[in-house]
Amino acid sequence: MQDAKASPSPDNDEHVADISNREFGQGSAASAGIACCHTCHLLSPVALEECPRCNSRLHLRSPHSIQRTLALIITAILFYIPANLYPIMTTTLLGDTTSSTILSGVVLFVEHGSYFVALVIFTASVLIPLAKIIIILWLCYATSKQSRLSKAELTRLYRATEFIGKWSMIDIFVVAILVALVQVSGIMAIEAGTAAQAFAGVVIITMIAAHQFDVRLMWDRQQ
Amino acid sequence: MQANSQIACHDCDLLITIPEMEENHTLFCPGCRCKQFTKYKQALDSSISFALSALIMLVMANGFPFLSFETQGQNRTITLVQASQEMYAQGFVLLAVLVYAFILLLPTLYLISLLSLLIPIKLKRSPMAPIFVGRLIGYLLPWVMVEVFVVGVLVALIKVIELADIIIGFSFWAYVGFVIFFTLTANIASRHQLWSWIENARR
Repeated sequence: MQDAKASPSPDNDEHVADISNREFGQGSAASAGIACCHTCHLLSPVALEECPRCNSRLHLRSPHSIQRTLALIITAILFYIPANLYPIMTTTLLGDTTSSTILSGVVLFVEHGSYFVALVIFTASVLIPLAKIIIILWLCYATSKQSRLSKAELTRLYRATEFIGKWSMIDIFVVAILVALVQVSGIMAIEAGTAAQAFAGVVIITMIAAHQFDVRLMWDRQQ
Repeated sequence: MQANSQIACHDCDLLITIPEMEENHTLFCPGCRCKQFTKYKQALDSSISFALSALIMLVMANGFPFLSFETQGQNRTITLVQASQEMYAQGFVLLAVLVYAFILLLPTLYLISLLSLLIPIKLKRSPMAPIFVGRLIGYLLPWVMVEVFVVGVLVALIKVIELADIIIGFSFWAYVGFVIFFTLTANIASRHQLWSWIENARR
């Protein structure tokens, strides 16, 4: 483990003039007019407009980051409603058909005494998507207002959100496996439900939303 | 130009001068303490070998039964692909395509693109369309959910274990091996590492 020393930005003063009167974090690349390429992370003066290594467009910060993130989060919230109302799968056991939603599935496991599975499903399908939506909304708010948590803590929260994003897909994979495996003619069959599609939508859209959010905006805010 | 002696932290945008680093050391941002990159020993060789191992495991995972389900004298055996095929048969086309992409298609594309870059670099030839491939790899990686799928399979098994006898096929173990090699590959061929290889190859 080894830490680097921060160094003040040298020899790029001529590009400072290109930046509008926005404030950037102290010691940041942006405050020196240097953009970090979104694609390959190479540093180059923002005045170049295109990354010399991978030809991506250069931006000091992701353009319209907050607006895009909020729009996606609102979409995700809308998808989250049918995801919870409709059944995620339908089980037919000896002619008996039961539909279960995400929540009723969790309740079923608690009743059966399988607390561990109930906990895994509840965490992956209810807790994580909700926590993601709330954290991203909070982070959007925190880029403009003072917050009780420090910037470093909020950044850690963001990193956790980004990391955990795809783990909500567990429920979709569980349904996929059950639907494929449990097909014994005349005895039992499992079918996927509408909610599975809506839930996959929630997971994918929140993943894109987390990616659109530019966490560096928080560090630009003056304490 | 900045040369490559400096990076900016992707979380807090602090300018960091890359210090002299020993092998297997990780650079952390002094501002927000987030991980920047790790300098691995023989990164190119190990990336290529892990990626090849992952591909071989993936081929094996497709050639054998994945799971078997036995109840009241009836048996149902599925292969890996059937995990998405059955959803397709039930009319959930979008869902089937997503599952197929996340667990098979995108990881395969990732491994092939990575190898198409790294093998020519290793042989001191110039790789084909390195910029395009490098960007493609960056877009593919966030959508690879192979490790999530393995946990999903385990949860599904816990769900049905009371209903029937479950036999875990060879394919499942091959897929677990694939996930391990894939994770190692993606870890070593990090964005920082990948683009410095591409840059050196273009010179």
